[in-house]
Amino acid sequence: MNNKEFERLLLTVQKPGRYSGGELGSVIKDKNKVDVRFAFCFPDTYEIGMSHLGMKILYSQFNAREDIWCERVFAPWLDFEEVMRENNIPLFALESRDPIKDFDFIGFTLQYEMSYTNVLNMLDLAGVPLRSADRKDLSPLVVAGGPCVCNAEPLADFVDIFFLGEGEEVDLEVIDLYKKHKALGSTKAEFLREAAQIEGVYVPSLYDVTYNEDGTINAVTPKENAPAVIKKRIIKDLNNCHYPENFVVPFIQIVHDRAVQEIFRGCIRGCRFCQAGFIYRPVREKSAEVINRQAKCLCENTGYDEISISSLSSSDYTELEPLLNEMLDWTQQNHISLALPSLRIDNFSEELLEKINHVRKSGLTFAPEAGTQRLRDVINKNVTEQEILSTCKIAFEGGHTAVKLYFMMGLPTETDEDLKGIADLGQKIVDMYYGMPNRPKGKSVSVSMSVAVFVPKPFTPFQFEPQISKEEMERKQAYLKSCITTRKIDLSMHDSSTSFLEGAFARGDRRLGNVLEAAFKKGCKFDSWNECFDLQKWNEAFSDCGIDPDFYSQRLRAYDEINPWDHLDYAVSKGFLVREHQTALNEKTTPNCREKCSACGANCYGEGVCFEKR
Amino acid sequence: MRNVRIFYEKKGRMKFVSHLDMNRFMSRLIAKSKIPVWFTEGFNQHAYMNFAVPLSLGYVGLYEVMDVKITDDSYSLEKLVDDLNAVSTPDIHFVKASESVMHTKEIAFAEFKLSFDNIDAKMVNDFFTQQSIITKKKTKKGGIKDIDIAPLIKKAELCGNELTLILTAGNENNLNPSLVMTAFYDFYGVDPDFYDVTRVMIYNKDLEQFV
Ligand code: SF4
Repeated sequence: MNNKEFERLLLTVQKPGRYSGGELGSVIKDKNKVDVRFAFCFPDTYEIGMSHLGMKILYSQFNAREDIWCERVFAPWLDFEEVMRENNIPLFALESRDPIKDFDFIGFTLQYEMSYTNVLNMLDLAGVPLRSADRKDLSPLVVAGGPCVCNAEPLADFVDIFFLGEGEEVDLEVIDLYKKHKALGSTKAEFLREAAQIEGVYVPSLYDVTYNEDGTINAVTPKENAPAVIKKRIIKDLNNCHYPENFVVPFIQIVHDRAVQEIFRGCIRGCRFCQAGFIYRPVREKSAEVINRQAKCLCENTGYDEISISSLSSSDYTELEPLLNEMLDWTQQNHISLALPSLRIDNFSEELLEKINHVRKSGLTFAPEAGTQRLRDVINKNVTEQEILSTCKIAFEGGHTAVKLYFMMGLPTETDEDLKGIADLGQKIVDMYYGMPNRPKGKSVSVSMSVAVFVPKPFTPFQFEPQISKEEMERKQAYLKSCITTRKIDLSMHDSSTSFLEGAFARGDRRLGNVLEAAFKKGCKFDSWNECFDLQKWNEAFSDCGIDPDFYSQRLRAYDEINPWDHLDYAVSKGFLVREHQTALNEKTTPNCREKCSACGANCYGEGVCFEKR
Repeated sequence: MRNVRIFYEKKGRMKFVSHLDMNRFMSRLIAKSKIPVWFTEGFNQHAYMNFAVPLSLGYVGLYEVMDVKITDDSYSLEKLVDDLNAVSTPDIHFVKASESVMHTKEIAFAEFKLSFDNIDAKMVNDFFTQQSIITKKKTKKGGIKDIDIAPLIKKAELCGNELTLILTAGNENNLNPSLVMTAFYDFYGVDPDFYDVTRVMIYNKDLEQFV
């Protein structure tokens, strides 16, 4: 297809800027002068994918190498997919507009389970066979990274290589090995066999899985010398690790349209429901000096007028006050606003608060996750009612009138008392507002509360727990609704059918691959989008394959059961997860990594918070 | 402080950038280039920019105009153009900058060129010499009304397979070439088939170049 024809078709769809490429900061190379072409695929829309920091880091790092050209690919929205299929346009990369089936690597980042059908759909649009076994040639290799890789068994039949943990080093090691094999003219099997020897590389086809009669796993057996256990990779020294000096700056508005500065990886907290809090351990920080330097450089090169700091819990950064003081100074001088998402401000100095108040107001949000202190102890969410109320007070005094609170429903040990606690907390905030003599005049308060269904995830202490059933969820939702008596509280509980599917895939095994393919063939895609999600089709796909999703999500798992992810080592040991599960059931909290080490196992890298002086 | 008018070309992949998105693009470009522009005061401070007549999505523009205010009197306009080009993409090319002479309200006409196949001079002549050309136009409220576009067409001339149109432009009565072409193809009962729409110039009411 020539360019002219292509551009005419682009003008027939919504938001052609999603597919046009040509953004400032995008990297164009001469394809004849590179050895490796890498299609970095985000299996969701442009607006979502372009907001993702991990993709920006790897894009920049790969392209820093002269011999690699990394390009971006997103899932085309329904209207453009139709145009592509009608006109036989194979999935292409935005920079070169070349079909990705001719690339050396097709790499996916797996951020959430509900994007899996998009992975298959994108392979199909690319004209590449879905199953790894049907792709006989050395290239294109289909690889994947991201948090879902900690249990990507449902994708095991489709993906050639999974990267465990942080990709900066291991990805390049695999690319280098590939270059060697490409030059040698090796077969795909030869290459994969050797790649499996690299730490952090999981080649699923090199493992046989057998099952017991009750459907649980009997054994996972490595073949051809592949390691029995695959260990995730981490970057030990973040100060000297590659960080982008520039981003691709989109033309159309994306979800997070700003510069983003990472300040640390990992989380000291260990909230028991939070997978990220475990799989990114141990905490490793960047120095304030490096952060300021990188952030300034990024703002200068992108021209963004907003920057946010990024981490799992920015309040836990050790040099937070000096960091913010300095960042606020140079950002304000340059008309840049500093976004501080979900920062706890209750222990800030007056002076810093004053400075922050100058910054454009962003919404005030909290994530208490549970309605009572008892249940917050069970999930190890260390936020007290007192902290929430006092932060709201500071914010109301500063002129805010709206707060947003996030909760979960269906947490282990949850009772109706805990649900009522959600409503009560909202009421207390409303009452406090009207009890304040100095509240913003003439304005009413708005408390919005969003309640999601809890999905137990691998590598968390709740990996053993069943997810609640749909019936139980409906009962709980109705009960919670009945507890709310004021119009000042806006309660939102989304349609949660996707949570149950997410629950099955999060802890699913390889046998779900057939279900996934069946669902894709029925037309499932963009499952995280309400307007696309089709429960009916999914139910059919499960029953066609003779698989019960509840087997994966709604069963209490014994500690000695072999889980589909047990041959992956994310540094936190199963023994630790068992201990934490027990402590949770005893309604006891666990101190954070800075207060006391709980011997999770993540000190094995010899770096990070585990070695700080306490 | 000086009022400065910047002229640029918008082409290539930038065709797909809407007018709204151009605003954000330019403010980032200005920030990157570090040219000394005036910022609006107040809570949400941003570089002051004003665009003359928006360009529709998909069109190339060779005479695009953006006004800014320059705070540093010693800063040369040649440097301004160079500094912007240094950080821009080749698809937004800055041509020149000068003190603004006319008011953007004075813009009255715009000249477009567009290409197509399978059209001859007689067809063009027959269509454009009609006394009135009634076509349907979407109103701002979302309805559809009949309008006569003949008085809004200043000139229509075919040269090879390139048609030149000079159409009424500006805040009131802005006539989009795609509306003209839809009426044209409707007249002959065929599907619209034109491409490469380029706005080459904008004029005041006396057909003098807008400066
Ligand atoms: S080993 Fe200790 S300090 Fe290190 S991450 Fe685990 S619990 Fe935290």
